[in-house]
Amino acid sequence: MKKLLFALTILLTVVSCKESDKKETTGEQEKNMVVNVYTHRHYEADQQLFKMFEDQTGIKVNVINSNADELIQKMSMEGKQSPADVLITVDAGRLTRAKEQNLLQAVNSEILDNAIPSHLKDMDNQWFGLTKRARIIAYAKDRVKPEELSTYEDLASDKWRKKLLIRSSSNIYNQSLLASIIVHNGEAEAKKWAEGIVKNMARSPKGSDRDQVKAVVAGEGDLAIVNSYYIGQMLNSSDPEEVETAGKIGLFFPNQDGRGTHMNVSGAGVAKYAPNKENAVKFIEFLVSEEAQKIFAHSNYEYPVISSIDPAGLLMEWGDFKEDSLLLSKLGENNKKAVLIFDEASWK
Amino acid sequence: MKQAGSSDIFSIKYRLERLKRDSNKWSIFTLAIILFIALPVISIGVKLFAGPGETWGHIVDHLLPDYIGNSLFLVVVCSILVLIMGVSTAWLVARFEFPMREQMEWLLILPLAIPSYIVAYAYAGLFDYGGSMDLIFRWFGWDFIRIDIMNKTGLAFVLSISLFPYVYVSSRAFFLNQANNLLEASKMLGVGEVRSFFKLMLPLARPAIIAGLILVLMEVLNDYGAAQYFGVNTFTTGIFRAWFSLEEPETAVYLSALLIVIVFALILIEKWQRRNIKVSNSKSNITYIHRKKGSAWMQFFILLAVLIPVILGFFIPLVQLGYWAILTAHNVFNMDFLMLSLQSFGIAFITALITVIVATLLIYFSKWSFLGFIKSIARLGILGYAIPGAVIAIGIMIPTLAFDKWLINTLDYLFSIKTGLLINGTLVALVYAYCVRFLAVAFNPIESTSLKVNNTIPDSSKMLGVGNLKTFFKIEFPLIKTGIFSALILVFIDVLKELPLTLILKPFHVNTLAVKAYEYASDEMVMEAAIPSLFIIFTAALPVIFLNRLLIKK
Amino acid sequence: MLTISSLSKSFDKGKSYALNKVSFKLEKGDVCAIVGESGSGKTTLVRLIAGLERPDHGTIELDGEVVSSLKKLVPPEKRKIGLVFQEYALFPHLTLIENVLYGISKQKNKQERAREVLELVGLTSMENRYPHQLSGGQQQRVALARALAPNPSLLILDEPFSNLDAMLRMQLRSQVFEIIKKTGVTAIFVTHDTQDALSVADEILILQKGEVVQKDEAANLYIKPNSVYVASLFGNTIQLNKALQTAFECPLNANCCHAIRNESLTINSECEYVTHAKVLKKTFLGDNIQLLLKLDNGEQLTVLTKERNIEDKITIGFNSKDVLEFSS
Repeated sequence: MKKLLFALTILLTVVSCKESDKKETTGEQEKNMVVNVYTHRHYEADQQLFKMFEDQTGIKVNVINSNADELIQKMSMEGKQSPADVLITVDAGRLTRAKEQNLLQAVNSEILDNAIPSHLKDMDNQWFGLTKRARIIAYAKDRVKPEELSTYEDLASDKWRKKLLIRSSSNIYNQSLLASIIVHNGEAEAKKWAEGIVKNMARSPKGSDRDQVKAVVAGEGDLAIVNSYYIGQMLNSSDPEEVETAGKIGLFFPNQDGRGTHMNVSGAGVAKYAPNKENAVKFIEFLVSEEAQKIFAHSNYEYPVISSIDPAGLLMEWGDFKEDSLLLSKLGENNKKAVLIFDEASWK
Repeated sequence: MKQAGSSDIFSIKYRLERLKRDSNKWSIFTLAIILFIALPVISIGVKLFAGPGETWGHIVDHLLPDYIGNSLFLVVVCSILVLIMGVSTAWLVARFEFPMREQMEWLLILPLAIPSYIVAYAYAGLFDYGGSMDLIFRWFGWDFIRIDIMNKTGLAFVLSISLFPYVYVSSRAFFLNQANNLLEASKMLGVGEVRSFFKLMLPLARPAIIAGLILVLMEVLNDYGAAQYFGVNTFTTGIFRAWFSLEEPETAVYLSALLIVIVFALILIEKWQRRNIKVSNSKSNITYIHRKKGSAWMQFFILLAVLIPVILGFFIPLVQLGYWAILTAHNVFNMDFLMLSLQSFGIAFITALITVIVATLLIYFSKWSFLGFIKSIARLGILGYAIPGAVIAIGIMIPTLAFDKWLINTLDYLFSIKTGLLINGTLVALVYAYCVRFLAVAFNPIESTSLKVNNTIPDSSKMLGVGNLKTFFKIEFPLIKTGIFSALILVFIDVLKELPLTLILKPFHVNTLAVKAYEYASDEMVMEAAIPSLFIIFTAALPVIFLNRLLIKK
Repeated sequence: MLTISSLSKSFDKGKSYALNKVSFKLEKGDVCAIVGESGSGKTTLVRLIAGLERPDHGTIELDGEVVSSLKKLVPPEKRKIGLVFQEYALFPHLTLIENVLYGISKQKNKQERAREVLELVGLTSMENRYPHQLSGGQQQRVALARALAPNPSLLILDEPFSNLDAMLRMQLRSQVFEIIKKTGVTAIFVTHDTQDALSVADEILILQKGEVVQKDEAANLYIKPNSVYVASLFGNTIQLNKALQTAFECPLNANCCHAIRNESLTINSECEYVTHAKVLKKTFLGDNIQLLLKLDNGEQLTVLTKERNIEDKITIGFNSKDVLEFSS
């Protein structure tokens, strides 16, 4: 019995590894028919898109899924030998860093130039925004009137003392938000703001964006700062309890009278030493095509970066709003400053 | 007693002379293995000389006190909790007869099958607004009850219930192998069961217990997923923050070095407290433990006591995950998924096998070497466990990439063969990294069982004209089999659960269940992570049950 | 056949020596006992001979071949030495016959040889039992059979009887040495019990704090010990210090140490030196009676006697021929 199990395991392992070897070698042979993607995104929508791309072009999509930071580290260590063709992250900051580390290359593509508004891409065309997310305020409908809400800056004022819920400062979305405030209001103001927010926190920061929403409904606080697409996902969750929870909150897009609501993007760039550069460009072009953007919007509740299609369904219900049109590369440049300010303000 | 002429015998010349005589192939093999294991650590260590980055002062001012405080809190609270749960259950299972005892023996190992960050998600989900407990409370009309588990104490609880089996496994192995006559002797002296436990068995079992505890503490210090989710800043979350948020790898390496120093201190403490204890009783391997059978009530209470940690550490997360799995099955489950599970299982098995072999070689080669310092160096091999997976991954990439690039150039230059990276980004690098990371997990159970084999037994074999290797296979291996199997199980499970290192080093097309679970969880789709998590649990649980049966039969 | 010269071993890099410049020779067929109190280096010495430890200095020659020196070390498995450990060290997972076969697995007639040695120790009927199913004495004999099976040129027994009770010990001692004599093997055995040594050894080597203090035949050692330490190892000895010398009025050479064996003391009879003593306490010990005496000059002295009728006041004395004199 022992021997049998042992033999079986070895067999299965060999088979499963052979399987991947085979894929690897066929990949090697048809070198032109693959694109190697290092991505921080791991949504079902993405897998659907990769599949579509493979079906349309016959180009196989190989994926390494990890944190953007680790992927960047990996690419920089691999250097010229890096198999990466495309780097996808969920924020502009990391893309800026990859660019600064000389890991990306400029791409001349008319399709990309035309499709993506200039503030949503790198000025040297080294990276391109794929989808947008708004950082918005979720409030308890029974305790907060939307009229009381106005700007991000207002959230630091005394009237929200102990009422605000927001996640940890190690989260990139918070870092981007503070970076945008640094750009708009200056470092000193940004620090005051961060300190004000810390004072107003209903509890020590923890959990995910979804957890902040749940905490609002549970009554731990009245307001939460969250990304728009999480609300979309909650409203379409498999768990009926989550759907009900998300239904109990209202959404507010801040700074409508001023610069507009803070947006962050998820984006992609072509790796400097991409072995399959053409495929890489094709791949990114595909991701900003109308059909791809529709899938981003429909199944992941992200805002499309191209203006030719509407943010369908649920996003339409939330209505139009004014976006902060800050040059996204500024967020990356100020990211580290933001983290230092968070620490000084004791924002965990 | 200082003797005349001693300075001669211990002069440099004589020492070198003896060093030459006493260095044998085993010393060289040991050094080779250590070098192989330490290479990534050294690669990182070299970076230490570059000094910390410019934000070091900032970290010391604003973050370090919090990191130290929280990490210390976790170390202390987790130590207490895992000792209580691990040792008491091991003792009860080893010494008492009660219904379902045989099942409990392996059920108690099962909490290890669930990655601690998954346990954290499950408990957070359970006590969450709209979570299962919340629904139950609401159903009873107890709306006012809200348990917040997402804090330091909650984290210590979650880590403890998912890690206590390390202590259980190592101390049970000791209690099972412990000479029965010691206990009989103690009872003859009129010392009751409870007192003999505290006065006799506990001090004797200390090395085994501490060995398990050290593993727990290393895992605790290393945890990233759960601490991050619960918003508790520890050394490891700090390493990630310095590396990625502050964009200073040098500072991250500095923090890792600090962490390594702490863990090294723990290892030294363990060695120091072990210094006077030489457990050697040649008869102890065979004696059969007579289990005590109490009254029906007592049996019931023992069963209850043993069940509580299993329920907390295994069944509650399992039920929560099961509920989520049912909700999300239609999205997640398909054929690819089964293939992926197989792959995970195979990689974990092969890695476990290799790691256990390396650990055994290390222990025995250093034993066969006559050089004292080799033995101390051998213990360095287990340091990898103290280093966060992500840092090890980088440590592996530095030398393997250098080697790969050298190979590419050489092949190109000599034979004009163009190749890509041959080690990096393949299973070789991944398995290498696992091996470095989990050597300690294999090392401890093998070492502690090998310490129980009296030295005179292999010595006898040698006196009968049999060399080291054959002695190992014929005599020592059969006697330390228990330890080797425990090591296999533990490494297998750990590899199955491993995340940060796998994320960085895994080849294209190779995927593991842990990675899959993480992909969902990191995107706040914790519920969808339930199915891969359950698969991890089942693939980990099966060999646990199987191998445990094997041990019991023995 | 065994020549050891200037053998030294330190376990703490020269701070202290477990064995310090030990030299001696052993002839073929001899049975040599190594005697010393615990910590005297006996076990270290035999482990060095066996090759289980490595000496810091000195050489060991076996059958004319250097097996251990500063340059060369023959590993234990190549030395053809049989070693019986104090705790027997039988392989717990092997049966008796498997234990015995273990060292001769490469020989042609191994089965016969194994049966032969098992018969020698009288355990043929138990060959399929496991070690834990045997008594201590039986395990001891298996260990002996196992060590003898490959026909070692030298047999070492390390404290072979210390784990046995007194009756079994006497019985087994004569059995074991009968077997050893029968096989004619050269043997070294280590003991802290001089009874063991005196009864069976041709030669006895005395160790003290890692150094050889005396090596001689058994009878000679008893009659002419060269130190108080050796004398006291072989029987109850009373040291004749200044105070006792005054009490017995026997002026002795002040530059030497003197002692007298308990058995040389006479009670209530004529001899050269006598003194009066008061019996403070009598303890019955079976074959002996222990007396606590107070001598004339107030000195206290403990002696053993076979005399049954002891009064409260006695005279006690000895003859000058019985006084043992040591140079230091």
